[in-house]
Amino acid sequence: MSSELDSGSQLGVLYYCPCSGCMRTTDAPVKASKQKREFAELAEECRAPLDISTQEQLAVLRTWPIEKLYYCDDCSEVRCPHCVIEEPAGYHCPNCTFDVPTASVRSEKNSCARNCFHCPVCTHVLVVVVVESTQGDGGQSCSVLSCAVCMWDSREIGWEFETSTGISAQIERMRTGGPAVKEYASLLDYWRTVQRTASATAAGNHGLTSSASFKHRLTSAGLHGSTTSVDSLPPYKAACYVDSGAELTEDFKALEDANMIPFNGDPRTKEPQRVRLHMKLSRRCRMCHHILIKPESKAHNSRFKIQLLAANFLPTITFPNTLPAPKARGSLLEHLNTTPLRVGSTAPVVLRFTNPLYTEMDVSVDVGELDAAQTDVLAPRFTLPPFAELWEYDEDEDDSSLASPSASSSGRGSGKRGIIHQHGNQIAIQLDVTPRAQTQKLTIPLCITCTHLDDMAEMDTSDTSTPRRIVNTFWAYVSLGMVN
Amino acid sequence: MGRLHLAPQALVCKNTILEGDIRIGNGTVVHIDASIIAKNGPIIIGSNNIISDRVRIINNHATPLVIGDNNQIETDAVIEGRGIGHKNVVQVRGKVVGTSTLGNNCVVGVMCETEPAENVPDNTILFGNPQSRRTRSDNNAEYLEVHNKHLQYVHEMLPRYNAIIGAE
Repeated sequence: MSSELDSGSQLGVLYYCPCSGCMRTTDAPVKASKQKREFAELAEECRAPLDISTQEQLAVLRTWPIEKLYYCDDCSEVRCPHCVIEEPAGYHCPNCTFDVPTASVRSEKNSCARNCFHCPVCTHVLVVVVVESTQGDGGQSCSVLSCAVCMWDSREIGWEFETSTGISAQIERMRTGGPAVKEYASLLDYWRTVQRTASATAAGNHGLTSSASFKHRLTSAGLHGSTTSVDSLPPYKAACYVDSGAELTEDFKALEDANMIPFNGDPRTKEPQRVRLHMKLSRRCRMCHHILIKPESKAHNSRFKIQLLAANFLPTITFPNTLPAPKARGSLLEHLNTTPLRVGSTAPVVLRFTNPLYTEMDVSVDVGELDAAQTDVLAPRFTLPPFAELWEYDEDEDDSSLASPSASSSGRGSGKRGIIHQHGNQIAIQLDVTPRAQTQKLTIPLCITCTHLDDMAEMDTSDTSTPRRIVNTFWAYVSLGMVN
Repeated sequence: MGRLHLAPQALVCKNTILEGDIRIGNGTVVHIDASIIAKNGPIIIGSNNIISDRVRIINNHATPLVIGDNNQIETDAVIEGRGIGHKNVVQVRGKVVGTSTLGNNCVVGVMCETEPAENVPDNTILFGNPQSRRTRSDNNAEYLEVHNKHLQYVHEMLPRYNAIIGAE
């Protein structure tokens, strides 16, 4: 239940990432070690790196719910979305979910090359529909693009297609079939012929330059005779346009009055736009370039090949509402975390830590300095059991010291003071919070240090004696809501 | 009390709420859970309409509420105005409110409403959120073919699974 810190929710836990967010990778090793040192100093002095009560805007940039954080197991460090490098892992059309090969992305200008278009009126995606044709003799069927929401039709701009597939290709052909393009093509042909005859005669005048041109001259001389020259070629005949010089000058004079020119705007805004392609991104650690997230490149497959999330390496901190009671009682511990906070009175706050690893994790919780409230962590050091199948867990050891802060745990059962509940790989601990001042949002910084033994065997080293210890220290900002 | 005139080919489910003076034309289908409540004035429904489930057709005015032919009124729509014409589509949760009327060939889009007191002209399409409107440029020629197929299908299948008024 680690909810995002927005104005609506009361309780939440945010994790702080100490990166600077804009580190160049060449400076990375130097800056990283410096940051680590500074961070360690802060942790020792229990000074929170970010005063979240006064720097809320900055908090958005630096603190994250644990769902948004990654973890580099090479560097053994948390990575936030600012300190990862994103790169595309695949391109697809969001409408037809067609996987576009990387080579075609550039040539199709990052748009879908098939039948996917946006309606120019309401921007919904258009559907290809077979209708009766309005041109030619009625009764012929043709395909048009139509919008199901606003009932727009591509017949309104005169687009009718012969087949219902490959609409993009038909549009390209329509665009290139205009008279201007045809004229240009025939002009090009004509001048190429002129150039060929000109170079042939020129080569003939200057003597042989190569055997290829010699052969060409021989064959052309054989076909056309030696009288071919540039002057004897017929003049160019316009393929599409009619030469009407006199009329043109009249039109030109009329256009001098610029106000008369009708402005219809960009015709492309009335035309359907192609659907833009979407990317799937993979993420790498900015320091060591280890891949943290690698999705399947196929569009329809939403799994991940590699998925290194912070929640899989760091304990998740949540606010439980109810906890199953110890077996002896057979009831629920209810209404946890519902005590309203008032200045001067001590309220119990229950936090639950969940261990995602397959090894034991030693956790120590220290409170950062805070003027707004005094917090007592009743269980500052505890060990989280590893994650295993439910039936492997031993009997629960429960210790309820929740009744009131004054009636401490000394009365009941075994178990450490401050640990409310223990089940499987989760431990719920109690903090006693005494606010000192009224505030809209009381946020407590906690410095959490997790230590576990690395159970992955090192491949390159032959040192099998002691597995290495991995220590992760991070700050978590726990929001408790309003204080009256 | 109210009188219900059902044309011989009309198909009205038993699990509907029908109150007041109601006349339903040939071929019209009224699905389950629809309410046709003629509170103050009568409701006259034409032929070959498809009135889907949970539709509320309520006449609070003294004048008759007239629904034309070949209309399709989709799920959870509300018709409270003075009437609609022919070949209209009122889409899911669309509303004709107040004293408004719809012309012919109109489409009231999903969750769209008419103004409280307007006569929506023919061929108008209400769509989008925020709502806007435009005029359709085709003549709605392809509508009848699909509509008749829909009608045919419903006439075949609905009596197999629902109790129908008038069926013995």
